[in-house]
Amino acid sequence: MAKTVFIKDTAITGKDRTRDFYGLFLGVLREKGLDTTIQLVRLADMGIYSAGIAVRVLPDNHLYTQVGESDIAGIVESIKTGQPYQPRLTKQASTQMRIVLRNCGVIDPEKIEDYIAHDGYHALARCLTELTPEQVIQEMKTSGLRGRGGAGFPTGMKWEFTRKSAGDQRYIICNGDEGDPGAYMDRSVLEGDPHSVIEGMAIGGYAIGASKGFFYIRAEYPLAIERIEKAIKQCHDNGLLGSNILGSQFSFDVEIRLGAGAFVCGEETALLASIEGKRGYPSPRPPFPSVKGLWGKPTCINNVETLANIPVILFKGGEWFSKIGTETSKGTKVFAVTGKVKRSGLVEVPMGTTIEDIVYGISGGAMSGKSVKAIQTGGPSGGVIPKDYFQTRVDYESLQKMGSIMGSGGMIVMDEDDCMIDIAKFYLGFCVDESCGKCAPCRIGGTQMLRLLEKISEGRGVPKDLEQLAMISRAMQKASLCGLGQTAPNPVLSTLNYYRAEYDAHVNDKKCPACKCSKLLSFLIRQDKCVKCGMCFKACPVGAISGNREKGYVIDQEKCIRCGQCFEVCKPAAVLRQ
Amino acid sequence: MAKLTKNDLHSLKAKYAASEKNWIKVGFSTCGIAAGAQKVYDVLCDEARKNNAEIEIKKCGCVGMCSAEPLVEVNVKGLPRVFYGKVDRETAIEIMEKHVCGNLLVNDRIYDVKVN
Repeated sequence: MAKTVFIKDTAITGKDRTRDFYGLFLGVLREKGLDTTIQLVRLADMGIYSAGIAVRVLPDNHLYTQVGESDIAGIVESIKTGQPYQPRLTKQASTQMRIVLRNCGVIDPEKIEDYIAHDGYHALARCLTELTPEQVIQEMKTSGLRGRGGAGFPTGMKWEFTRKSAGDQRYIICNGDEGDPGAYMDRSVLEGDPHSVIEGMAIGGYAIGASKGFFYIRAEYPLAIERIEKAIKQCHDNGLLGSNILGSQFSFDVEIRLGAGAFVCGEETALLASIEGKRGYPSPRPPFPSVKGLWGKPTCINNVETLANIPVILFKGGEWFSKIGTETSKGTKVFAVTGKVKRSGLVEVPMGTTIEDIVYGISGGAMSGKSVKAIQTGGPSGGVIPKDYFQTRVDYESLQKMGSIMGSGGMIVMDEDDCMIDIAKFYLGFCVDESCGKCAPCRIGGTQMLRLLEKISEGRGVPKDLEQLAMISRAMQKASLCGLGQTAPNPVLSTLNYYRAEYDAHVNDKKCPACKCSKLLSFLIRQDKCVKCGMCFKACPVGAISGNREKGYVIDQEKCIRCGQCFEVCKPAAVLRQ
Repeated sequence: MAKLTKNDLHSLKAKYAASEKNWIKVGFSTCGIAAGAQKVYDVLCDEARKNNAEIEIKKCGCVGMCSAEPLVEVNVKGLPRVFYGKVDRETAIEIMEKHVCGNLLVNDRIYDVKVN
């Protein structure tokens, strides 16, 4: 392969110097007569950030960072010899590891041949011909895989409980009712690699002794549903679902059920009710679904990501899988990194990776050069983790210790412009909307807490409100019927814990430090800084700004809706926001 | 297709893994389609025909770089495998003319490089 050199200025702020450096580098190559044999390419993104000018040489795979003009000659020389140029040589620190997403973006999800070519259904074949169901369960226990839906219950144990429960019929269910705001890992797996989930379910069915499986997918994922439907049909055509799979004695089939848009139906018992055709109400546990589930039969419910792990575990062995990750959390986790981050998308990292590596190393830190304030994991059931704790290693226990949860894998990045009361209000509002209303703690508690938060963000809060928030939170955690209500106060509790000062500022000083809560803001034009350009006048959507280019402009506080448009457009920063 | 057995799986794997043709993959998950993957795919197919390029154009799922969709991965023998991001009509034409037919990578459009 001919040598290729990639160049990118990885600084987040300031002028992009990629083009200038490209010119310099090309000059040196021309001087040495190498410009025809070595290809020089400017990148739009290199996957590393805040490391000055970065240069990558392929196929040697040498990466250089903080490269200066004086280094060019040395690097060019090293390209000729194939030996690395030591002074600027760097190893890429944070790398992803793909187990769940192994085929996403690699295979054509609508072609079963593509999946088989990438070791697809080989694990199922191994289970059916070489292993007994007990051995499959043992392999899962060895792997240490824990449920990726959020709670982290060991999958092998769940399978064993279901297998050991008495019943003439058992079921396995794939929970694809992904509802956390900002989370879409499951959708991507269902869309990008549907066969891996089907194979995981078939293996699960074999292990627990189920002949029937259900996909529960939310109706908002039409493409995922379409691809799963196609995949199921292909499996039927090829004898990978139906009777006597791969010529064995094992028969298994799956059906799809659609979720009608209720967040609570992601909860096990509500999901079961929904599949049975009843209203999606949760019911008290025990009895657990593994004992008495769908239509009263033993049922195992696994998350999409959990199921996508299973073919790999049984192909490469539980032993192999258990070597990845931390002491208590094995394997990898997929995160949907969204919010105010430079490179939003899906990230799969081994358990035990630090939050810093995910947010800065892989996702490039905050967009537009602002500083990251915190992340929120676990959606409305989780909590915030402030920047000061970004050294935390991601696993089930450590996130719980931080007052958040692993959750299904949503990771929302917030910057200095985000107000924590506003965040808490958003998540609580979500849970209040999605509360099914069956139990009082969740129905009434959630609404009361939301009212208190609204009161605080509008500047009508009193110190006693904060105590009351904490009190209702504890009551909801203890007395709610299902996970939704029990975890709904988490965002409030975690923001109260880490950002008490922000709450105090709202309550005592009637100020919003992040300048987000509009009722506590006022905008003013500083006449000494104003250049009378009229930008604010044009930007104001309600005509609250009056004046002209000779006299200057003023904001009518009565008319102002505090949208902040004038603040955003003002180049000389003459609009004061306080 | 007839019902598969374990041995069929192995022979199928060998059959499909052997192909060493040049290829292009376009991300066709919700994120890609929403960003305009279908248009990019159509343009690539048209251009390949116009240029008589020997290349297989395939669809695939989401690789994870959702902010850079529509994403196009290009594998041409003798060149590094790269991901072009935020691909529009013009970039798609450039990819076909320069990268596939001319063996020259397109500047300022690559969002990731496959490193083995």
